[in-house]
Amino acid sequence: MQGTIVKVSGPLIVASGMADVQLYDVVRVSEKQLIGEVIELRGDRASIQVYEETAGIGPGEPVESTGSPLSVELGPGLIESIYDGIQRPLNKIREQTGDRITRGIAVDALDHEKLWNFVPTAAVGAELTGGDILGIVQESEAVLHKIMVPPNVKGTLTWLHEGGSATIVEPIARLETASGELELPMLQRWPVRRGRPYAKKLPPIEPMITGQRVIDTLFPVAKGGVAAVPGPFGSGKTVVQHQLAKWADADIIVYVGCGERGNEMTDVLMEFPELKDPRTGLSLMKRTVLIANTSDMPVAAREASIYTGITIAEYFRDMGYKVAVMADSTSRWAEALREMSGRLEEMPGEEGYPAYLSSRMAEFYERAGVVTTIGSDGREGAVSAIGAVSPPGGDISEPVSQATLRIVKVYWGLSSRLAYARHFPAIDWLQSYSLYLDKLSSWFNENVSEDWSDMVQRTMTMLQEENELDEIVRLVGIDSLSFKDRMTLEAARSVREDYLHQNAFHEVDTYTSPEKQYCMLKLILEYYDLCLNALSQDASFFKLSSLPVREDIGRFKYTPQEQMLERYEEISALLKAQVRELTEGGVENA
Amino acid sequence: MKFMAKIGVVGDRDSILLFKAVGLTTFFETEPDSASKTLHRLARKGYEVIYITEELYTQCGEAIASYKSEPFPAIIPIPSNQGNKGIGMAEVKANVEKAIGADILFSEGR
Repeated sequence: MQGTIVKVSGPLIVASGMADVQLYDVVRVSEKQLIGEVIELRGDRASIQVYEETAGIGPGEPVESTGSPLSVELGPGLIESIYDGIQRPLNKIREQTGDRITRGIAVDALDHEKLWNFVPTAAVGAELTGGDILGIVQESEAVLHKIMVPPNVKGTLTWLHEGGSATIVEPIARLETASGELELPMLQRWPVRRGRPYAKKLPPIEPMITGQRVIDTLFPVAKGGVAAVPGPFGSGKTVVQHQLAKWADADIIVYVGCGERGNEMTDVLMEFPELKDPRTGLSLMKRTVLIANTSDMPVAAREASIYTGITIAEYFRDMGYKVAVMADSTSRWAEALREMSGRLEEMPGEEGYPAYLSSRMAEFYERAGVVTTIGSDGREGAVSAIGAVSPPGGDISEPVSQATLRIVKVYWGLSSRLAYARHFPAIDWLQSYSLYLDKLSSWFNENVSEDWSDMVQRTMTMLQEENELDEIVRLVGIDSLSFKDRMTLEAARSVREDYLHQNAFHEVDTYTSPEKQYCMLKLILEYYDLCLNALSQDASFFKLSSLPVREDIGRFKYTPQEQMLERYEEISALLKAQVRELTEGGVENA
Repeated sequence: MKFMAKIGVVGDRDSILLFKAVGLTTFFETEPDSASKTLHRLARKGYEVIYITEELYTQCGEAIASYKSEPFPAIIPIPSNQGNKGIGMAEVKANVEKAIGADILFSEGR
């Protein structure tokens, strides 16, 4: 099946004589063998988006269809890899061709020669369906790779590899199916634009603990949930995404760096191997897959990178893992869509984005969720998707933010005001919301403490009150407030500075366990309650607001997890003693 | 019976002892902390007028501030035996300034 180029416009190529190809088939363009994908068909003319630089390509050159859609290779070897948008391994390309990707290079996504230690677990003679586990491979210290029967395949297992070394392409099982015998290697291929099947979607009820206080406490995201992080430049979207990738309690992290700076991916590559997972103690890189399409890489591959990422995530989900996909940033991805749409001469929608922007967005985010996987043992897996959005000028009334907000259930709005005040993470507590809050509160009440949701509610109320009082203060000055209200301001300040503010680059402060979050919040609320009580007993407001113990409360976040409970008791006792000193005399005299 | 306001006097013994002679209740205080507490206590007991020596008046700013916007008690500074410090006048001047934006009473300061 060969056609001829008739038009080249940047990453878009139009070829004639392509009557037999189907939409989304992958084609090879010109003698240079550039990878492209058919995205529009008119008569025998196909519009092709090319995932590589098209300079030097001209009309008359051949286009050849591969007859299959853009697919990813799935199997052992994914973990710790870094891929470009169409799953080409960047480290291997570098070994072959140097720092820049040469055009038309063909490298296998997974190492086809590497020997893995396959341990069979299925029984010969068993009736297997798609998703059933044939055996396991210990891929990295942190990840046990389960080799599954591909979806849409079922039959009787007639032979299974006896275990030991095997490459991912050699057959490890033979299945007697309705249409004859089928040999299965460890490697699976799956088209990126199609969601992998699952048996049943479940409601998300368990939170994804991120160790970030403002997120876990005020705006939690569920395992299998979808969240968006919109924010103007320099407000810390990338740091939030990195923090989530580092500390979220997911089994697998897929990090898609999509149209952002190259050094941000470098940061991930440099930092992750050195960081330890607080739960397993293993290097964070041992559970991470990176997909990089930095801003200088071809724009069409950017569009694919998000699908590549989520397909890999779904594959791990099918094994029964909890996976988190970070996409930084979906705005660059939407811009890639816009560029292609413009070159296709489609009717533009809002701000030039294609009319199908929101449906494409939804296609991506809707692939997240908690599911019962296919296969007879009914494993439960989850894919959580977290997308950064970079609205120009920080104005979220633009189409990408709006399309995202329609789909996601958690909104962590970063504000430039907070970032300017050096309050990080700059998640604005007055704007942000989490629609999972109600569903997750029972988990928190059971697993952290039964008064957790009440405490969260009080904190939120306090922060809102602070905002209202702040307006009065700005209008008529602090003197016009009653001491009770000024106490609320003090406590809210403590919540902001001692609790919500979190230093991502501090060894201890970067991750806070739910238990520690509880203790921290408890201390601040205790301080607030005791002070209100003391005020009603005529204690001096100025003395209450400058209690020496406040320093200890502020520094509590730097207390390592092991000494945390002990220190909490200490500070709590200190707090009570110091407040008592201010009130006791008054009570006696009265 | 005619309405009688409860009036208290707070200050050091030497300055306020004389008030006892005219039938006001006196509270001897020299420490600002305990004086503040006495103020709160008197307020709760329903004293409508509290006289307080200027020394303590300046030191108990917080307690006094909390009753500024209340109708009662009226807390009024009085000179002590150390002489008049002019705090009462300064207060009036500040209030006038706040109300009309200019000092119309005592422009001799300029």
